Amino acid sequence: MSFELDGVGLCHPGGHAALHGITLAARQGEHVALIGPSGAGKTTLLNILGTALGASSGGVRVLGTALAPAPPAAWPPPRALRARIGSVHQAPPLPPRQRVVTAVLAGRLGQWPTWKALASLLYPADLPGAHAALARVQLQDKLFARCDQLSGGQLQRVGIARVLYQQPELLLADEPVSALDPTLALATVQLLVQDAAARGATLVASLHAVDLALACFARVVGLRAGRIAFDLPARAVTPALLQALYAPPGGAAPAPAGAPPPPLPPDGYAACR
Amino acid sequence: MPLSAPAPHLRDPAARGRLGGALLAAVLLWPLLQAAGFDLAALLAPENLRVLGGFLRQFLPPETGADFLALLARATLETLAIATAGLALAFVLAVPLAYGASNAARERPRWSPVARGLLTVLRGIPELVWALVFVRVFGLGPAAGVLALGLAYGGMLGKVYAEILESVPAAPAQALLRSGARRPIALLYGLLPQAARELSSYTVYRWECAVRASVVMGFVGAGGLGQLMDQAMKMLNGGEASTILATFMLLVLAADALSGTLRRALDAPPAARAAPLGWRSGTLTAAVLAALAASLWLLEMDLPALFTLEAARSMAEFAGGFFPPEMGGAWLRQVARGVWETLAISIVGTLLAALLALLLALPRRRAPWNLLLNLLRSVPELVWATLTALAVGLGPFAGALALALHTTGVLGRLYAEALQNTPPTAARALRQAGSGGAMAFLYGTLPGAAPQLLAYTLYRWEMNIRMAAILGFVGAGGLGQLLYVELSLFHHPQAGTVILAMLALSVAVDAASAALRRRMG
Repeated sequence: MSFELDGVGLCHPGGHAALHGITLAARQGEHVALIGPSGAGKTTLLNILGTALGASSGGVRVLGTALAPAPPAAWPPPRALRARIGSVHQAPPLPPRQRVVTAVLAGRLGQWPTWKALASLLYPADLPGAHAALARVQLQDKLFARCDQLSGGQLQRVGIARVLYQQPELLLADEPVSALDPTLALATVQLLVQDAAARGATLVASLHAVDLALACFARVVGLRAGRIAFDLPARAVTPALLQALYAPPGGAAPAPAGAPPPPLPPDGYAACR
Repeated sequence: MPLSAPAPHLRDPAARGRLGGALLAAVLLWPLLQAAGFDLAALLAPENLRVLGGFLRQFLPPETGADFLALLARATLETLAIATAGLALAFVLAVPLAYGASNAARERPRWSPVARGLLTVLRGIPELVWALVFVRVFGLGPAAGVLALGLAYGGMLGKVYAEILESVPAAPAQALLRSGARRPIALLYGLLPQAARELSSYTVYRWECAVRASVVMGFVGAGGLGQLMDQAMKMLNGGEASTILATFMLLVLAADALSGTLRRALDAPPAARAAPLGWRSGTLTAAVLAALAASLWLLEMDLPALFTLEAARSMAEFAGGFFPPEMGGAWLRQVARGVWETLAISIVGTLLAALLALLLALPRRRAPWNLLLNLLRSVPELVWATLTALAVGLGPFAGALALALHTTGVLGRLYAEALQNTPPTAARALRQAGSGGAMAFLYGTLPGAAPQLLAYTLYRWEMNIRMAAILGFVGAGGLGQLLYVELSLFHHPQAGTVILAMLALSVAVDAASAALRRRMG
């Protein structure tokens, strides 16, 4: 198993409960899409899998390591474990004045010995590696640019290049294509799926574009108000399920004419499988 | 997607420049260390340690006689009043000059030679030199101190206000300009909300500096705590010195608390009410005005008398004595040596301070380190210099050490703040991917904070050049020593050359640091 969550709940310090009784597991090499309305807990769930947050209740096992529930003395978890988990963040966490090459190479800081990480600040330790990772997101010509010279979409792809360079066993992506146009978004999600498939890595991605999720992922998990609404193979997800998932709170009211249910995959995305 | 062919040339284009820069720095550092008289052995020499130890031992018990305490209280109030009135004058000067000099809220950058030139001259001449000049025109007393502070700090505040306004995101003001707002309105609505916190905290910080500066000016007869300190130091009276030092520290801590209160007041979300001033900001404004009025009353300042024709005439007459400055070859060579020594003292002192400050800014638990930093910066450089001169003997090294000690306190605090204000997301993401704390700092936090750290260091270095000149007044080498000697001998043309050299040095440093900032920015 790549990860197992058993009845996981999470309460934020303010008392707001973000997740309730989440039970979810994935085999190594599975590709899972998380969908659901804003505020459903997708990011929180990814943060628990990425060991950024400790669960308030329930059991968490990631890559064979059981994580202590609430942030206790055993927090943060061992670096060796974290080095095997890669995250694509919704807002790329890159210092504006850092060069792209350094930002990408930083993906392996968890694997490199200290001397190598220090030396790489003076002269990039793995130029071919960084170049190759950037080439996969078509940004190889930005190798020596500074992050603050890039557009939002380019920055998001640098974040993806970093995680490609890290080569994690568990790849978590939080809205990895939110700043990209539809064509580039499709190509980028395909890239993540192909990379995970080629290395036998597990991929969990939260997506607002339901069509992308259905087209590119074998398994789709719907989250609503901190609970799992459904956990199905992509082809078993019906328009009715999606309508219920994205219905406005209160639920009973029918969706107004201005808010149609999320579109189903157009033909263009059939290429993804 | 097609896998691209292997890259044609994978060499870091920045590497050559970095290597060259490192070599150049190493080549330059050696003569600088020489000129600053860098000598660790002198620091550890037993006879020096003994003299210093003897003086420091007298610090306990501190002097607590009633007469002395009454004197101290009066002097403390006077120091506060000089600082407050001086800063008020500086503020009045700085606002219009900053408005004129800054390119903030302008659609096209404009070169404003008058405002920029005035700012440069005002702060290019150290406040102590202004004070010396004003003491000769207006006689001994606080008026000279207030004017000197007002002019020198007016220049500094104006420059930093202009820079802060230029450093915040310009888009809101540009949008207002494009929709037809006039520049002052665009500035008030588009830039001030973003910059207010930094502007006010910098002003409060400057007030702290003004307290220290007014102490230092006491050494040339402008009253206040400095005069007491001067006497205590000259007589090696450790008990009095320690009481006065403790008073300084209390003053600096109080200013710190005031700065914190101000910032919290700015951070508090505005109340849903139309009136601009709530009870808190209203009280604050009233308190500031009351403090200013009390200062002017305590100092018995006769402001109009400073702006009479007679004052202007005696001023002009005195200033005329400096012209034409002595330009003989031998004297110029001596001045050039003084410039070099001043530069060396400032660079070595600032570098030492930057290293120490970064180390002291790193620990997560701030309390004990903040105490140490407060201790270091609450003692003025000039006072540190009298102590370091005991430790390593008179000369430039004493000056460099004194600068380093005080600057560590200032930079350490600023560094810690900058590191705390750096968005934590980058470092947090790296830690999440398994990186250790040190590497997360180097790859995540430092790149975000570096421009600010560099800006603080460069700005402090500029100030330290001015300070390195002043330190000569207690025999710590550099231009100051030349100026002090020549002024005491009434060699005004020679002194004029030195003042010109200080100004030229300040302008050159400004240009250099602006160029550096552009490159790093």
